[in-house]
Amino acid sequence: MIEKLKSNWRLTLLAVILLVSLFVVFSPTMAPQTNVGGENATTGDRLTNLQYGLDLAGGTRIRAPLIGMTAENVDIGNESTTNVAAAVANELPDSDTTDVSVRRGTLNGPTVEVVDPDVSESQFGDALDAAGYSYESIRDGLTQETRDEAINVIEGKVNQAGLSGASVQQVTDGTGFFMLIEVPGQDRSNVIDLIEQRGNVRIDIYHQNDAGEYVTERAVLTQNDFASISNARQPSSQNPNPRVPVSIRQDEGIAEEFQSAVVETGVAQQGGATCRYEENPQNTDPCLQLVVDGEVINSFGMNSDLANSMRSGEWAQSPSFVLTTTSFEEAQEIAINLRAGALPAPLAIDQGTTSFVSPTQGENFRTDSLIIGLLAILTVSGVVFARYREPQVALPMILTAFSEVLILLGFAAYLGYPLDLSVIASFIAVLGTGVDDLVIIADGVMAEGDVSSRRVFSSRFKKAFWVIGVAAATTIIAMSPLAVLSLGDLRGFAIFTILGVLVGVFVTRPAYGDILRNLLTER
Amino acid sequence: MAQLSVPTVDYTQYSNRQLVAVPLALLAVALLVIGGWYLFTGAPANLGLEFVGGSELRIEDPGGNAAQQIDAAFTAEPDSVRQIAADDTYILTFSEGVVDTPDGGNQLSILEQQAEAAGFSIQASSSVSPSFGANTQTIALGGVLVAFLGMSVLVFVMFRSIAPSIAVIASAFSDVMLPLAIMNLLGINLSLGTVAALLMLIGYSVDSDILLNNSVLRESGDFYESTSRAMRTGVTMTLTSIAAMAVMTIAAYLFGIQIMTAIGIVLVVGLLADLMNTYLLNVSLLRWYVNRGVKA
Repeated sequence: MIEKLKSNWRLTLLAVILLVSLFVVFSPTMAPQTNVGGENATTGDRLTNLQYGLDLAGGTRIRAPLIGMTAENVDIGNESTTNVAAAVANELPDSDTTDVSVRRGTLNGPTVEVVDPDVSESQFGDALDAAGYSYESIRDGLTQETRDEAINVIEGKVNQAGLSGASVQQVTDGTGFFMLIEVPGQDRSNVIDLIEQRGNVRIDIYHQNDAGEYVTERAVLTQNDFASISNARQPSSQNPNPRVPVSIRQDEGIAEEFQSAVVETGVAQQGGATCRYEENPQNTDPCLQLVVDGEVINSFGMNSDLANSMRSGEWAQSPSFVLTTTSFEEAQEIAINLRAGALPAPLAIDQGTTSFVSPTQGENFRTDSLIIGLLAILTVSGVVFARYREPQVALPMILTAFSEVLILLGFAAYLGYPLDLSVIASFIAVLGTGVDDLVIIADGVMAEGDVSSRRVFSSRFKKAFWVIGVAAATTIIAMSPLAVLSLGDLRGFAIFTILGVLVGVFVTRPAYGDILRNLLTER
Repeated sequence: MAQLSVPTVDYTQYSNRQLVAVPLALLAVALLVIGGWYLFTGAPANLGLEFVGGSELRIEDPGGNAAQQIDAAFTAEPDSVRQIAADDTYILTFSEGVVDTPDGGNQLSILEQQAEAAGFSIQASSSVSPSFGANTQTIALGGVLVAFLGMSVLVFVMFRSIAPSIAVIASAFSDVMLPLAIMNLLGINLSLGTVAALLMLIGYSVDSDILLNNSVLRESGDFYESTSRAMRTGVTMTLTSIAAMAVMTIAAYLFGIQIMTAIGIVLVVGLLADLMNTYLLNVSLLRWYVNRGVKA
C-alpha cells in the first residue's frame, strides 16, 4: 500500500492538495472572520468560505486620486511646521491652513503640500518664494505619509457610518496613486456622499467688532479641540433641533480659550444670544457658526443658562456643548467627520472610476457565471470524449482539469481573495489551457503504439513535459504585466491565470502522468 | 457521439510560397485595416468606455415601451442601448460630457438621478473619467508590448536558432493582429477584457507552435511524419479551447457579462487565426529551415 502511494507520489500529492482545498472551501472552521464593525459582511455565503467581490455580491467601488502638489526639500530651517504652513497659506489666494501641510523627515526632506485644486503650480512656487522658503522641486501628487493618513481617514469614515466589510487601499497605475474604496452592499451615491467631502469641521464666531461692523472670527474651535463626540440625536420635545453633543478638551487651556472668545465676542452675553444670521445677517446677535469645508452649515446662538455658566467661568470645568444642525443627516455627517477627522486632501472622484452593482444583479451574475463555468466544463468534456473515445483516457483528463479549478477555489478561499467576474473568466481560461496540456501529455505518451515499459513511458512523458513547461512559462510572462500593473479589474484575472498555470505544471499535470502510466503500463 | 478526427494535410502538394501566401495576405489586410483605423480615427481600434471615459447604466426592464421610456428619462441620448433578455435589464452607455454637470458634479450621478426620477431601478452602473481612460490606454499598450517582447525572448532562449523562433513569433504576432482587425470590422469595442484576452492569446497561441517546432526539430521521424503528429495533438488542443471559449462568449453575451464576452470573442477569433498561422505559416517556415541547403 505504502509502496503504491510512494510510486504514485504525484497522484498522492494531488489527492492531498485536493482534500486540503475542499476543506478550506467548505469547512466551517475555516470560515472568514467577521469584519470589524459587527454585522456579518454580506460578501460571503453560508455554504462555502468563498468571498465574493463586488461584481458578485453587489456594492460600490470607487477609484480616485487625491488632489495636491508637493514641494520637496524645502528649506524650512527650525521653524515650526504650523508656522510654515500659515506663512505659505497666507501667500496663496483663498487658501486656508487646512489646504497646506508641512512635513519633516519624509523621503525627500522637508515637504510642503498644497491641496487646493484652484492653486496652480506657478502660484504655489511664487507663494513659497514670497514666504521666503527655497525648495528643490514641485511635483504633482502627495507624499506617502499624506496618502496613508487619507486611507486612515476614509477607513474611519466608512466604519463610523457603520458600513461593514469595506476596504480602503492605495493602488498605482505607474503614473500616480489612487485611493481604491470598496464598500459591499452600498449604493454608489451613498458612498460618494460619505467620502466626497474632506470633512473639515470648525466653529466660527460671527459678531460685530468695536467699530460695529460684522466680522467672522475664524476657527475658534477646530477638529482637534474636541474631547468626545456623541452620536447624532434626533429632535426631541426638549430640543427642537437635530444635534451632536460634544465636549471640548480641557488641556492646553483649549476650553478656557473658547470660553473667553465666546464671552468677549458677545455670544455669551447676559441672557444669551438669539441668532438671526439666516434672515438678517446685518442685524443679529453674535452667532456661533458650524462650518464644514469652508461652507456655513448652520448658525446658532446660545441660551441664557449656558451663557451664564460661560460668563462665570464654570463652564470650562465641564466643557460640554451641543452643535445644532438643520437636519438629522447633517448631524450624522458632522459626527462622522469629527470622529474620523478630515481628509488631508480632496478626492477627485471625477478623475477616476466608479462602479456599482446591485445585490440582486450580483446574485444574478453569481448564478450566470456558475452556469457558464458548467457549460465550459461540459463542452470541454464533449470535445475530449469525441476525440479519444476511450473513457479511461478522457475521464481522468476531465477530472484532472476540473481539479485545477477546485484547487484555485481553495487558494481563493484561503487567501480570502474576493471572486469577481474576471477571476471566474480566468478559471475558464485555466480549464482551457489545462486540458490543452493534458492532450499534449496523452498524445505524447500514447504515440507510436503501445507503452509497454515504464522507461519508455517516462522518456515520452519528459518530452511532452518540455513543451508544457515552455508554454506555461510563456503564459506566465504574457500575464505578468497585468498582475503587476493596476489595470483595474484585470488583476484578478492575471493572478489566477498564473496561479492556475503553476498548479497545473507542478501538481495536476504530473499527476495525470501517473494516472496514464497506471492505465497503460500495468496491463 | 461524433468522432472527432483531425484531418491530415498532404503538405507535399504545396510549395512553401503557396502555403505562406494565405496567412501573409491576411496579415497584410489586417495591418492595413488597423493602420487605416489609426489614420482615420486616431486609434488602432474602436476604443471602449474604459479607454475613452463615459458612463454606463444597467437598469431593470421598465416594461411597456422601453425604448420610448428610456428616451424620455434622460436629457442625453445614450450611445448604445442593449437589452439583456436573460435577466430583464437594459444596458445603456453614454459618452463623457453629454450631460451638463453644474459645479463639477459627476455625470453618472446626474444620470442615476434621472433614472431614479423616471422610476427605473438601477442594477449596476459605472463611470470612467477620460483622463483615467487615457492612462489605461497607455498602460494597456505597454502591457501588451512587454508581454510580447518577453514571449519573444523566451522563445529565442528555448530554441536557440533564429528561423524557428521567428516562425513562432511571426505567427503569434499575426494571432494578435487578426482579431484586432476583425473586431474593428465587426464594430466591437476594445475593452479591458480584450486586453486580457490579447495577452492570454500570446500564451495560448505559442502552445501549438512550440509543439510543432519541438516535434520537428527535437524528435525522430521525417518532417511530414513529425508535422502530422504535432498537428493531431495541436488541432485537438486548439479546438478544445475554441469550443470552451465559444460557449463562454455566447453564454456571457446572453447574460450581459461584458468582460467575459470580450475575453471570449477575442480568444475564439485569435485561436482560429492560430490554427491557420501554425499550420500554414509556421509549417512552411520550418520546412524551409529543415530543407535549407537541399535543392528543391
